[in-house]
Amino acid sequence: MREIRFHGRGGQGAVVASELLAQAAFLDGKEPQSFPFFGVERRGAPVTAYARIDDRPIGLRTSIVAPDVVVVLDPGLLGTTPVTDGLRPGGLLLVNSARPPERLAVPPGVYRATVDATAIAVEHGLGSRTMPIVNTTVLGALARASGVVSLEALQRAIDRYVPSRPRENRAAAADGFASVRLLDAVVPPERLAVPVAPGASPTIPEGPVATVPSRSIRTAAWRTLTPEIELARCTRCNFCWKYCPDDAIELDAQGFPRIVLDSCKGCGICAAVCPPRTIAMVGLEEAA
Amino acid sequence: MARLTLPAQELMYRGHAACPGCGPALAMRLLLKGLGPRTVLSIPACCWTVIATPFPTTALGVAVLDNPIESTGASISGLRAAADALHLPDVTVVGFAGDGGTADIGLQALSGMLERRTDAIFVMYDNEGYMNTGVQRSGATPQGAWTTTTPVEGTRRGKREPKKEIMAIVLAHRPAYAATVNPAFPEDFVRKVETARDVRGPRFLHALAPCPPGWRFSSEETIDLGRLATETGLFPLYEVEEGVYRITRRAGTLKPVAEYVHRQGRFRHWTEEEVEELQAATRAGWERLLRREQETAPSLPPPTPPIGGTPAPA
Amino acid sequence: MTREVLSGNAAQAYAVRLARAQVVSAYPITPQTTIVEQLSRFVADGTLDARFVEVESEHSALQVVVSASALGARSYTATSSQGLLLMHELLHWAAGLRAPIVMGVVNRAVAPPWNIGADHTDTISQRDTGWVQLYPESSQEVLDTVLQAFRLAELAEVRLPAMVNEDAFYLSHTVEPVDVPPAELVDRFLPPREGHAILRPGVVARLGSFTGPDHYVEFRHELARATDEVLRRLPEVEEEFRRLTGRTHGGALATYRTDDADAVLVTMGTMSTTARTVVDELRAAGRKVGLAKLRLFRPLPEEELRRLAGSVDRLGVVDRAFTFGASGPVAGEVRAALYAAPQRPRVDSFLAGIGGRDVTPGHVHRMFEELLGPDGAETVWEDLAPTEVGVHG
Repeated sequence: MREIRFHGRGGQGAVVASELLAQAAFLDGKEPQSFPFFGVERRGAPVTAYARIDDRPIGLRTSIVAPDVVVVLDPGLLGTTPVTDGLRPGGLLLVNSARPPERLAVPPGVYRATVDATAIAVEHGLGSRTMPIVNTTVLGALARASGVVSLEALQRAIDRYVPSRPRENRAAAADGFASVRLLDAVVPPERLAVPVAPGASPTIPEGPVATVPSRSIRTAAWRTLTPEIELARCTRCNFCWKYCPDDAIELDAQGFPRIVLDSCKGCGICAAVCPPRTIAMVGLEEAA
Repeated sequence: MARLTLPAQELMYRGHAACPGCGPALAMRLLLKGLGPRTVLSIPACCWTVIATPFPTTALGVAVLDNPIESTGASISGLRAAADALHLPDVTVVGFAGDGGTADIGLQALSGMLERRTDAIFVMYDNEGYMNTGVQRSGATPQGAWTTTTPVEGTRRGKREPKKEIMAIVLAHRPAYAATVNPAFPEDFVRKVETARDVRGPRFLHALAPCPPGWRFSSEETIDLGRLATETGLFPLYEVEEGVYRITRRAGTLKPVAEYVHRQGRFRHWTEEEVEELQAATRAGWERLLRREQETAPSLPPPTPPIGGTPAPA
Repeated sequence: MTREVLSGNAAQAYAVRLARAQVVSAYPITPQTTIVEQLSRFVADGTLDARFVEVESEHSALQVVVSASALGARSYTATSSQGLLLMHELLHWAAGLRAPIVMGVVNRAVAPPWNIGADHTDTISQRDTGWVQLYPESSQEVLDTVLQAFRLAELAEVRLPAMVNEDAFYLSHTVEPVDVPPAELVDRFLPPREGHAILRPGVVARLGSFTGPDHYVEFRHELARATDEVLRRLPEVEEEFRRLTGRTHGGALATYRTDDADAVLVTMGTMSTTARTVVDELRAAGRKVGLAKLRLFRPLPEEELRRLAGSVDRLGVVDRAFTFGASGPVAGEVRAALYAAPQRPRVDSFLAGIGGRDVTPGHVHRMFEELLGPDGAETVWEDLAPTEVGVHG
């Protein structure tokens, strides 16, 4: 049995990707299973989906904690989500990224692969640069890098189950298959990345009463674009502050705005309402 | 510090779990600016159940009680009764429900609360559908809008029926105060919240709350669309106190509704005729509102203050 | 102490006034109506300083008192049958929020067909909601139990809502003499509710919240622990009450002449009175029979049931409701409780008094006879008229 875990953001198609993988594996004559993690699913928020593929009927109905393959649909998740948790030695981490796979930090004994799925998807007209629909491209890359499914079955599954633009999605899957970069070597132990520790479990009060302000929660991982303010042209009208739905803009003593980057979800409202247009929304890799 | 046109106090905390560009999140932020910290909120199942973040955190800097989706009106009656019985001073009791939890499944409890004249504010944040469950139609979904349960497929062209007029339903109960608010006009929004806070008796606010994923528009357009909703006359801003109507934003000429419609994916399938029908209905609604204002005006109508001109204490 | 002739419903209202409830909300339904009428009069004449919230449904009535209780007000509501069923979702809310509400329920049959007679289907079908359920048999016991229920519900270790259930008409509308304790005495037994208002204006807190699988189970476990605490605390509460009033109602499982009994009937509610008289008659005739009145159905006093089982050969459980596809619901629960007992008597299941049918001394005699007779594995529907099975119209 092969266990695959998908990490993406709400709206990006991680759940659809895992379902499509299951459909394709079925067309390959396998016994697949696919399910989402039902949590807070918000556009931009990190989401998880799972798939299992075997030759025999699958006798498990539990989350996947020790996957053979981890697929990351959005490179922005790498810094904030512990995507490699439980990834087995000999397993594979596949990330949608323009960067070479050598740049990925993974546990020892793990193979690495990247595919620039965003560029491929946009090229085929699938989504926009800020919200690319990368799932079919990434599945093409997965077919090549992991062998859990054949490209031919994947393309038949796309024809059957992808309602919009099946032709473009098929081509994107083929491009993902052709262009994935896979490192043959596994990571030696000394380059072990430090995994993100899960938060301590709170003490349970007698009644379900929540008292900890949410300010401690970082929602930066939701962001694909970051606002940058050109303060020299700022008129201190405070429109950006006034209209921010995330309370992610603070005004300093002089009335100049400052973006609270831990909290900003990158919606772009501040840039849209700024009368002198001093705020630009910048892509993550450009901003970094 | 620059002059602020809104209270500086932030009682909606960052870190919340709303989608980027969320209209309901901005509505909550403005609402709490106007209400202040001695507020007790009752919130039914709705987007804000999730937005407020899971235990042990909360994105709301006030006392909050969760309640099931249909009973917000009753919940605020109970909170008010307890606050009075316990002689708790200066408590503002507020229900904050989505359009489903207000105008559909919550309508009975809302009607009960208004009829028994509970001294509390009921806020309906209107994102025009069941968005927390993934965009299904509600009674407040506009006619012709696509949702996952009113598809644009085969013989269906979105929702067949017109939007339920919640303000008319509420006003039939003769509330002490009722107003429409729009987060795209934050000064008007907060001023009405402050007015509502200081009136006694049942009060109602109908808050427009644009939803990027549900209405199918890009997250940075929330404010633009909110402005257009009012500037086209689709969501006029007005208040009704003791039966007297007062329009609080009066555009010289209404913008064409096409500007609003064409920016949202949920109306993408519309024909020119459908846009024209909405245009005619909107014009008629606006004229009806103007007549209402004239009919109910006291002998000398008070001057309308300009939008954005009410400075608030910083 | 004054002595007045009161119905069960009036006894509820008198007890709520003595308890100094602060918020009352209810919607009328036969046969509960006279409780809320009486409470309305008490509020109107100023003898009860409470906010009475008139609502448009039972659902809203329970939401009103749940919310009032969340802010710290001592709160009461009352309903029956269909009204209780409409409240079902909010019953879970009340327990989950740990709101120590007391609710009077007049046990009435569930439609269709419409029937307003005594029947326990309404409350039995709410047994998994986390509410304490008490079943008094007399107006006196109703009054005392409402006071005890408030005391028990508000204990810091408990903080659970409680139902005080009375059989329709046999108790709700039956008048009989009741000792009404003076207010000063009740005030000593039941001080003002304090210390655990969970929400306070001006304090950041969200009551209810939401959780994933990471914390939800712990909250359910807290609820389970609080429920267990009721079994430990009820005897203490009753003892305090006895010291002040001289009255006791026998705790969770009130036994009568069971010590050397061969056969014991387990009953709930008003049929217990009649059954006790029959026990005396049979005892006079030399038959070793006894009675155990299950006064507390939730939580179920399993230990006491096992203790009882240690000394008898046969238990007959009389249910005023039926669990379709199974047995009398209380019988099923008693059987389950005894599975772990060192001695397991035969447990027979009887149905009696369904939909307001009389439970006469003759019925009780017959049940004892059947219980003392040969094997009784199947549920016995007492007094059943012959029907034409499978014929519709």
